[in-house]
Amino acid sequence: MRPRLALAATGFLCALGTGAAAAAEAWRPNDAMLALYDKAKAEKEIDLWAPAAIEIGWVPAEFAKRFPGIEVKSTADLQGATKIIAEARAGRHSVDAWSFAIGGMIEVQKRDLLASEDWGRYGIAKDNVFFGGQAAATHNFIYTSIYAKPAVAQADLPRRWADFLDPKWKGKLVAQAFLLPRMMGFFALAWGPDEAERWGRTLIDEQKTLIVNTPSESYLRSGERAIAVGESISLAAQYKADGLDVGYLTLDLVPAGQFVIAVLKDAPHPNAALLMAAWLASDEGRALYESLVHEADIRPGSNSALAKEIAASNAKIMLEDVNTMEQRAKYYESYSALVRGQR
Amino acid sequence: MTAGFSARFGATGFSGALILGLGILAALYLISAPLGMLLVAAFRGPQDLLPLEPGTGWTLDNLASVYREPALYATMIPNTAVFVAGAAGLGFAAAFVLAWLVERTDLPFGDAVFTVVLFPLLVPGVVVAIAWIYLLGPNAGWINLALRGALGIAGEGPFNIFSMPGMILAQGAALVPFVFLLLSAALRSMNPELEEAASVAGAAPRRVFLAVTLPVLRPGVLAPLILATLVAFEQFEMPLIIGLPARISVFSTQIYYELNPDTNLPAYGRAAALALPFLVAGLGLLFAYNHLIRQSERFATVTGRAYRPATLRLGAWRWPAFAVVLLYVALTVVLPLVVLVWTSLFGYRPPALSVLAQANFAPYANLAASTDFWLALRNTVLVAGASAAIVTLLGAILAWTVARTAMPGRAALDVVSFLSIGIPSVIAGLAALLLYLSLPLGIYGTVWVLVLAYSYRLAVATRVARAALAQLGRELEDAARIAGGGWLATLRRVVLPLALPSLVASFTLLFIIGFREFTLPVILQSRDNLVLSVILWNDFVSNKSADAAAVGTVILLCVAPLVFLGRRLLLHRAPRG
Repeated sequence: MRPRLALAATGFLCALGTGAAAAAEAWRPNDAMLALYDKAKAEKEIDLWAPAAIEIGWVPAEFAKRFPGIEVKSTADLQGATKIIAEARAGRHSVDAWSFAIGGMIEVQKRDLLASEDWGRYGIAKDNVFFGGQAAATHNFIYTSIYAKPAVAQADLPRRWADFLDPKWKGKLVAQAFLLPRMMGFFALAWGPDEAERWGRTLIDEQKTLIVNTPSESYLRSGERAIAVGESISLAAQYKADGLDVGYLTLDLVPAGQFVIAVLKDAPHPNAALLMAAWLASDEGRALYESLVHEADIRPGSNSALAKEIAASNAKIMLEDVNTMEQRAKYYESYSALVRGQR
Repeated sequence: MTAGFSARFGATGFSGALILGLGILAALYLISAPLGMLLVAAFRGPQDLLPLEPGTGWTLDNLASVYREPALYATMIPNTAVFVAGAAGLGFAAAFVLAWLVERTDLPFGDAVFTVVLFPLLVPGVVVAIAWIYLLGPNAGWINLALRGALGIAGEGPFNIFSMPGMILAQGAALVPFVFLLLSAALRSMNPELEEAASVAGAAPRRVFLAVTLPVLRPGVLAPLILATLVAFEQFEMPLIIGLPARISVFSTQIYYELNPDTNLPAYGRAAALALPFLVAGLGLLFAYNHLIRQSERFATVTGRAYRPATLRLGAWRWPAFAVVLLYVALTVVLPLVVLVWTSLFGYRPPALSVLAQANFAPYANLAASTDFWLALRNTVLVAGASAAIVTLLGAILAWTVARTAMPGRAALDVVSFLSIGIPSVIAGLAALLLYLSLPLGIYGTVWVLVLAYSYRLAVATRVARAALAQLGRELEDAARIAGGGWLATLRRVVLPLALPSLVASFTLLFIIGFREFTLPVILQSRDNLVLSVILWNDFVSNKSADAAAVGTVILLCVAPLVFLGRRLLLHRAPRG
């Protein structure tokens, strides 16, 4: 079996930039979008929410280039579902559009708070439409592990997730309380829940992995820890852009969350929100996700450079889908208590 | 009826009685309504629905699901007990030593030490927690790096902030200024006659301290210890930031996790059920505190006679004692502040002369260019100012009602106002969340929900106003009335000018508390009601440590002048010696 790749992001990122530029050049809004833009201008602004700033921090400037006159206000909040439901209960509606993984949208979707849209009118392919028209695909959140290059020799790097349980990594690992249980949810689907829990318990209890509620960049930069387990490729690129000398690992299993964009039923700015959502889900929007924040669509048939890179590594890709998302959500709910020290 | 009214309310007249009545109702609402909703929520289900939402009903499921969990007894309660006892004990011990050295010995630069020890009161708890991580992170903490370098130790440590001892150290240090303030007052106001009598009778200083000083001071000293326990009990920032990496969950963080689960919707009912015994324990500590304070007043060590507490000469120990104080100040005051300012200018870089030229002011420029920052600054000033004004006004009304009328139930009013100090912020936040999500007032998510939520802290204002009224003889008000002044005119022209310094001090203290408040706005946050502490937290969790540190520095710069103003007005500290 060929060894998994330890990817240094630089070359790959150049390839991303070229492909994205081509996609962006080719794309033009269709007539339906232009008509929507005319209506949206009067609304002037959009309140966009997502779980992390990296997901949407780039949107206001890029959207303004394509659709001037409409300001995007972005809010990063991991508890977006809670806030949206709470606001709906209080009869207060501030959120226009929401970007999240499909598993994180279940409770909001169940409460019928998302608007159903005819995405096909705006050129969005059927395969990219979720929840019967209530959301459209934008990108995958690709789980990985990020290592500080000065702290770890290439030859020592883990090649499988199980390698993190090697005693040599004791006291050298860090993981985010939000991401680790979600990744373990994928492992539960692949390995079975008991094996996933055993892996997680060993990682935390025996390897003394530091569990944090912030991105792990500061822990890698300061030398507090050498490898961040269960991060994302986009975060690796962000850390690199921040001047940190890091690489990311493509191991035996590549879990990938499915991110979508949805417009809220009671959005204060419905036309502007739909325009932005349709643009984010368009070829141009998805290409920008890949080129600007390295969040690619790696589903089968994708032309993404990252999808090709991962396929070349022979790793098994595990995509989040609507058939398994509820089961996975149950798993990660249980693992979250474990990770936080509540059980 | 008129005679009865007059007997109960004095010469307030109808308009005065109306003002007092409205003030009392407002005060009762601010404290009782959220707590009432909390109580209701604990017995309503299903757990993820609001208490009065369609589809809910009365149930014991919340209590059953919370109190049947083995983890509660195996980890949560023991963790909380160890953390609270450790932090309160450590904080009290350090504060006692400092207060004793400053107030009762000839420690050099005692006045300067007094001021410096209080300085951490300015710094938001989030900032202090982050600073401790920078200092005592097991692999890369500044202190650990320095110690390993100096002692030639390999590996990690020797200290690990991500542990129960680390949490206790950080929380204990955070408690010191507050406890120090209370203990200093107790030590300063102790009549030295008993000590002098013991000395004259031939007792050695050590024996005088153990046999006389400590017993006399016991109630006045135990009261701050209980208050420190109460404060440690409700603490949220240290367990949230340091406890998670250590995987140590305590009551306050557990309530927060129930409200902000990573994976599901908030379990309002479970959070409320979990909060109930927490609240009872808090109130129990509060009543113990009240009892001890009454006992200490019975000792009557403070009299109207002029006296000067005896000063113990430290002799050869004078400068070593000062060195210990300096070490404490360096560790808990100077280093966290240096970390804060350093991080805002140099990010994650460890301290070194070589990087001084690379100071980066971009985080401050980012703040200046950020609309969110200006919104948060405006909201912070508005919320802290409005809530401090409301609480000061209501506190004054309650104090006047208790001190100057014969209204039935006024003693109960006094108790209710004091209850607020026993309500942890995390519970006050939860209670306000439940109340304003359920009431169709339309203020949830606005800045006004924060103003109302902050305004439950009536204890301080009522106590300060009562102390001020106690110093004003009734004859001044009587004279004004005999001269034809109505109730409002008497208040405006006689009482208010004389009580103004105390009211301003109360307002200043509440404004500072509101300015650095973290727990309430984090629980009640929305896009429109951002305040500075929430921006700081959001920057911190979004990987923008330098920006977060810059916000912390701004908070510090805004509050520092007010602390000195508040100290001058509130403490009236006589010169030593």
